[in-house]
Amino acid sequence: MMELKQIEKSFSAGEVSEQVLKGVTLTIESGKLTALTGVSGSGKSTLLSIAAGLQSTTSGSVLFDGRDLTSLDQEELRALRAGSFGFVFQSSHLVPFLTAAEQLELMLKTSGRKLSKKAAAAEISRVLTRVGMEHRRNAYPDTMSGGEKQRIAIARALIHQPKIVFADEPTASLDSKRSHDIMKLLKDITTDTGTAVLMVTHDEEMLGYADRVVEMRDGLIG
Amino acid sequence: MNLAWKEMKKNKLKFFILGSIVFLVSLLTFVISGLANGLSEDNASLIRNMPEGQFLMSSDAEETYSMSVIDPGLRDQVISEHGGYAMSLQMGFLTDDEDRQTGVTFVHSGDHQVSNGRIILDESLQKDYQTGDHLTHEQSGTTFTVAGFVPQAKFSHAPSAFLSADDAEQITRTKASQLIFVPGSDELSVSGLTAFSKSEFLNTIPSYNAEQLSLNMIVWFLIAISGMLFGIFFYMMNVQKIGLYGILKGLGVKTRDLFRMMWTQLIIITLIALTASLSIGFSLNAVSPGDLPYLLAPATAFQLSAVFTLVGFFGATLSGVQIKRIEPLQAIRQGEV
Ligand SMILES: Nc1ncnc2c1ncn2[C@@H]1O[C@H](COP(=O)(O)OP(=O)(O)O)[C@@H](O)[C@H]1O
Ligand SMILES: [Mg+2]
Repeated sequence: MMELKQIEKSFSAGEVSEQVLKGVTLTIESGKLTALTGVSGSGKSTLLSIAAGLQSTTSGSVLFDGRDLTSLDQEELRALRAGSFGFVFQSSHLVPFLTAAEQLELMLKTSGRKLSKKAAAAEISRVLTRVGMEHRRNAYPDTMSGGEKQRIAIARALIHQPKIVFADEPTASLDSKRSHDIMKLLKDITTDTGTAVLMVTHDEEMLGYADRVVEMRDGLIG
Repeated sequence: MNLAWKEMKKNKLKFFILGSIVFLVSLLTFVISGLANGLSEDNASLIRNMPEGQFLMSSDAEETYSMSVIDPGLRDQVISEHGGYAMSLQMGFLTDDEDRQTGVTFVHSGDHQVSNGRIILDESLQKDYQTGDHLTHEQSGTTFTVAGFVPQAKFSHAPSAFLSADDAEQITRTKASQLIFVPGSDELSVSGLTAFSKSEFLNTIPSYNAEQLSLNMIVWFLIAISGMLFGIFFYMMNVQKIGLYGILKGLGVKTRDLFRMMWTQLIIITLIALTASLSIGFSLNAVSPGDLPYLLAPATAFQLSAVFTLVGFFGATLSGVQIKRIEPLQAIRQGEV
């Protein structure tokens, strides 16, 4: 599905340069939940954002769908993210002035996936039901609990049927019970839809849901 | 789905405040502009409502019509050559039977034929006098009979009183004329005389110039302020939303669509606010009391509206560079601890 090859990434502040990734090679497979773990500062988020086309590499390549992301321009990366990737962040980052259903509608439109009005409405209902939020379809984020927001964020990450969902610590702001609910959801999605999930977590409890656990240590995969 | 509209619906108060500010500033601008126009109409409607043309005065008058002296010989020669007619203006007083004095501008003008011993007054005097009344110019001891009224004939904030040539000679104590008016836009050149276009001539009237300059300055200040207000308001709203913009860009929303959202909001607010302030501005035309000169001209009002919209557009767009600048990753990381 996606191949990360010899990814290196350095950040330089003035004279000082810090190498955060030192040649990471990783394959992300469809229908599988891959968990990236490791201590804070080990480069997990950096690797995830490079894979998601949100950040450039210093060297190495990111192969996806026969293309190398490192050679695409900003507009091509945008189109790729909109059409093929889904995102779940630590904080849900929902649009404050849109209802649950409208969040999905916006993402559906952004992805360019062409659906009739009726089909789009049906699809939105289906995905909201999938995350157990259909009854909250007209709710605004400021009336939702943290767990509910994260469910809507997951629904938004799925509505356009992306090939890969990137999730950076999606349960970090939730209590244990809600974290397990969210993890079950992510796990089920990979089996049901064949979508690949690349997830960052440093919560040991959540690793049980992963098909594969990759530990990052010192800028390398251990 | 319309993001712009959705946001306005959810944050009604915020956008209502912005709209109210635009409404108030534009209303103030229209009112001042109406006053400027009304005042200039009150000052010099006699001249403003003449056709385009050239005003000739003697070159040694230093652009002051009251100092201009055009000898009858030269006057008759210019008029026979170029057409047009002579004009003289002099401030003075008329006294009625009950010894009440009214300040007027005595006007002899070739396009207002009046017989000797009669005067035609500006319609603003209709409330005090009627046709057939007798009014006296005390310095010369001449008594006139009111022969009628004409609209929009004020000069130097005083109603005009049109006289015959002979009577004007009595009052001004000279056979010479102050001005020759020649209709048409061709620049005239007659030796010893200086030609002014209508607007140039209006600006030689000292009070006219002073009034218009200060009021127009206020109008332009208000427009500049409104531009800044737009800029600042959208800047603040954009700063609040910058994280959201970053996230949306991360999800793949086009920067262009985010700008379009801002522009749509700007246009909706401006349209509503301007519609409200224009309708109030125009309705003041009907209700403004007679002694408060207010006249909002439609052409000016719509020009100002266009300027408002443009200035708002630039203010908002300038503040929108942040939208272009925000990196998705930056916004995503801001949510983390
Ligand atoms: N934009 C950046 N500029 C400078 N340093 C960065 C930047 N992003 C990440 N880093 C550094 O890279 C290292 C790894 O960060 P990150 O990938 O966020 O780690 P993790 O997600 O595993 O906690 C950290 O030391 C962090 O300070
Ligand atoms: Mg991280």
